[in-house]
Amino acid sequence: RYVRQLQRLQFLFSPTAADARGARQFVEEAAQDFARQHPDVVLYVSPCSGTAPLVRAEYLNGTVREELIASKTSEEIVQLITKLANQSGLDIIRIRKPFHTDNPSVQGQWHPLTNKPSILTVQGPRLQPQ
Amino acid sequence: SGPPREKKRWLRAYLEMQRLQAPPKRRSEQPNWDYHAEIQAFSHRLQENFSLDLLKTAFINCCYIESEEARRRELGVDKDAVALSLQDNTRLAEQGLRFARAYLTQCFESAYPNLPAKGVEALVNYLTGQELVSFVAKNLSLQDLALCRDFPAPPQVLQRTFLAVIGALLESSGSERTGIFVRDFLIPQLIGKDLFEIWEVVNPMGLLVEELTKRNISAPEPRITRQLGVSTVLPVYFVGLYCDKKILAEGPGETLLAAEEEAARVALRKLYGYTENRRPWDYSKPKQGLAAQKAISSN
Repeated sequence: RYVRQLQRLQFLFSPTAADARGARQFVEEAAQDFARQHPDVVLYVSPCSGTAPLVRAEYLNGTVREELIASKTSEEIVQLITKLANQSGLDIIRIRKPFHTDNPSVQGQWHPLTNKPSILTVQGPRLQPQ
Repeated sequence: SGPPREKKRWLRAYLEMQRLQAPPKRRSEQPNWDYHAEIQAFSHRLQENFSLDLLKTAFINCCYIESEEARRRELGVDKDAVALSLQDNTRLAEQGLRFARAYLTQCFESAYPNLPAKGVEALVNYLTGQELVSFVAKNLSLQDLALCRDFPAPPQVLQRTFLAVIGALLESSGSERTGIFVRDFLIPQLIGKDLFEIWEVVNPMGLLVEELTKRNISAPEPRITRQLGVSTVLPVYFVGLYCDKKILAEGPGETLLAAEEEAARVALRKLYGYTENRRPWDYSKPKQGLAAQKAISSN
């Protein structure tokens, strides 16, 4: 079954700074709707003055991702956290190949002896055409 | 008087070093933690309706209760004044373990009817064993929610907590939903695993002869089918097992003995229906409530 990999989101922003205006608007208007739509993510809002406003996302495999939300509007923050909620906690690196299979071969993997006849097959004399 | 004194230049680097060298703390001791909200989110994440008291009991381990009592004694708090009325999760863990084992045994017996009892037992032991269950528990963030004395929680504690969660689900939602839960979280761990990685078989040839006598087929006759590089350092022998001149299985190996053993293992896999190209597990919703499920819940 599907288990959302995002565990919790922590919003750290200052109550008076100018660049945290979008964050404050988001917390007033859209945070409750987001929490209702995603009941399996825990939202923490904590004010801390003096630092840049950021949102910290913790995933089930332990990765912690921090994104700055300075000078972002409320809608942009909503888009950002929906993106975070749909991600898994794996590192964002180049994917080597976009496919994977657990059963790479159905009839058996080829090896140099696959289509060679075994030693035990007996080659009889050729039958004369009737 | 005058402007306030600046902090020294080395202070920032020193504080950063202290922060990096501090021992890791539990998530519950770090800022921003709400136990009740986390437990609610946990039950929503698994898409299951838990009764929250049972779930909270499931997370309490006995070592936590002992450490809490010791702490209270040290602080000098009177025992009667603040009674520690917390229940253990041992009962729920036992229930969960019994249910999981019974359910998994039933699943494997219906999916692989030819697999003998020892094989089924080996598979069930692997799926309810410490490493696998603690791995599943870690990836479901049980290590944050479980209350335990040591940090990080040892795998035994995680296994007990996970089984207690299964027990709590059994009591809250009934055996059908718990069966689906166990199927969804434990059976995918078998993907990509071979039968004989999980089940240690010492003498595959003897086992194969037993299986064939049960089915009234004559004893297998090993013959070399293919060979490559006989006089080199890395020879490859393909030994085929023939019953009544008909091929049963073929297996490769470095020496003739190793190849014969591998051929016996391949034959056993074919007989038990656990080959690599078998049908994948069926995860669809069960249509009817089986009577056997009720039999399990009364165990």
